[in-house]
Amino acid sequence: MNFDMKATTESELARLIVDTLHLELNPDEIVPDARLFGEGLGLDSIDALELALALSRSYSIELKSDDPDIKEIFSSLRSLAAYVARHRGS
Amino acid sequence: MSPGIVEAELLPRPRYALTDRQSSDVLFVGPDGTTTASMFLNAARHLADALPDASHVVNLCQDRYRFAVAFAACVLRKQVCLLTSDRSPARLRQLGDDFSNVISVSEDPAVAGLSRHHRMTACLGQVGPSEAVPMVAADQLAAIVFTSGTTGEPMANRKLWGALVERSLAAAVRFELTARHRNTVVGTVPPQHMYGFETTILLPLHANVASWHGPAFYPHDIRRALRQVDAPRILVTTPLHLRNLLAAGTECPPSLKIISATAPLPVAVAAAAEARWGAPVMEIFGATEIGSVASRRTVTDVAWTLYPGVGFLPERQFSMERIMVTAPFAEPWPLNDNIEMVDGGKFRLLGRTADMIKLAGKRASLAGLNQILNDIEGVTDGLFVAPDDLDERSAARLLAYVVAPGQTSENILAALRLRMDPVFLPRRVIRVDDLPRNEVGKLPRAALDRLQDACSDA
Repeated sequence: MNFDMKATTESELARLIVDTLHLELNPDEIVPDARLFGEGLGLDSIDALELALALSRSYSIELKSDDPDIKEIFSSLRSLAAYVARHRGS
Repeated sequence: MSPGIVEAELLPRPRYALTDRQSSDVLFVGPDGTTTASMFLNAARHLADALPDASHVVNLCQDRYRFAVAFAACVLRKQVCLLTSDRSPARLRQLGDDFSNVISVSEDPAVAGLSRHHRMTACLGQVGPSEAVPMVAADQLAAIVFTSGTTGEPMANRKLWGALVERSLAAAVRFELTARHRNTVVGTVPPQHMYGFETTILLPLHANVASWHGPAFYPHDIRRALRQVDAPRILVTTPLHLRNLLAAGTECPPSLKIISATAPLPVAVAAAAEARWGAPVMEIFGATEIGSVASRRTVTDVAWTLYPGVGFLPERQFSMERIMVTAPFAEPWPLNDNIEMVDGGKFRLLGRTADMIKLAGKRASLAGLNQILNDIEGVTDGLFVAPDDLDERSAARLLAYVVAPGQTSENILAALRLRMDPVFLPRRVIRVDDLPRNEVGKLPRAALDRLQDACSDA
């Protein structure tokens, strides 16, 4: 994956997160390496469900609790983008 | 010694079996197979032998079967299980401070737990020697379930063994779980939450129910779990999960019943679920303090029916009349909602007292949250506001107006984060020059609406 495509996915996902969760910030204010849950954006498990739904609609990605990567996927915008880039449309 | 105590000692203490199921009955179903009552009791006895001495045990198990084994082992050892939905390091440290002789238990090697922690090793599988099912005194303190704290200190709710068993038996009658065919429950609510504890841990011990102990959070998990278990199936869930399942277009197998609790279920969601899956949608009314006490079928019943054995007792306090909910072996609990009795012992909810809000199954008092906000250094005035559609929109959260010259919104949020459950954190911290309080210091609704309009224009 080249750098440009990674940046596209990150900004796309930042927009998806802001729109899905009605966050009061600009997508480019989400720091790619900052934690999404707990600290950082302070998201919670309800948000995880909402995001999972948005991911399945936008990228046909279905999250599973027993995916070994599940904790990693939501850890930051960057890791979420990497996961989506690997699995989108598959 | 008071005469009351002598009298109590002369009376035989009622006792209830640890489980009412037959030794070959299936209690838990998972991706790897089934667990019978005999296997469960054997695992509980083994763990009871292995648990370190402690008066209280924080049950951190995520897997429902392991959670149930740890709970039963504690009951056998007369150790009190502590159940907390908030498992943050800060909360666990607090429990370590509050209880002098406390340990934690978990099956997950990644869970750190308290300074005294017992990691459960594999406990699936073995059928033990057939011994009599242990009997437990009804007045044994079996668990303390914590509400999510809004003032920094979650409230402890004591659960006697007799109360847990009696209510499980009542739920079994209400949901017809005594029939010859075993129902399998797939629960999406954590076992540390009172509703999840009652429906996915206690029901299998006392009703003709097996409980799924594999993953069941995302729509994909739930669909797979429902397909994997035998009919008839019961999905024990929340309005949030139901909406999410509907929106994801999830297919569910037939012979399904749905039970929802933790927040009011919009009739439209219940109707959509019934139409989509052909499954009756039942709703439970309850609270962490008292447990499940009433139910209804949302699309057909406006009124709620109390569980067998549960009652209302009006109580006059000062000039206020409040309704106490009573149930066997349970501390009477004052309703937060106004009710109206209708025919046949049923009741209608007329709305909760305005101060209480509910998010993600957790209750908070706006007054309590405002107190926390106003205690933050640099905040001279502040107010939490709940949007009107808080109950309908799952992404809805609180917002806060803050008068804090010289403080940033980020600092205020960081300070709040240390003091309250994250679901109640404001999505927006709106800094204003002052709040439009009237001459007696109250904030009239109209003034607040004008402030809100002004801020959204900005």
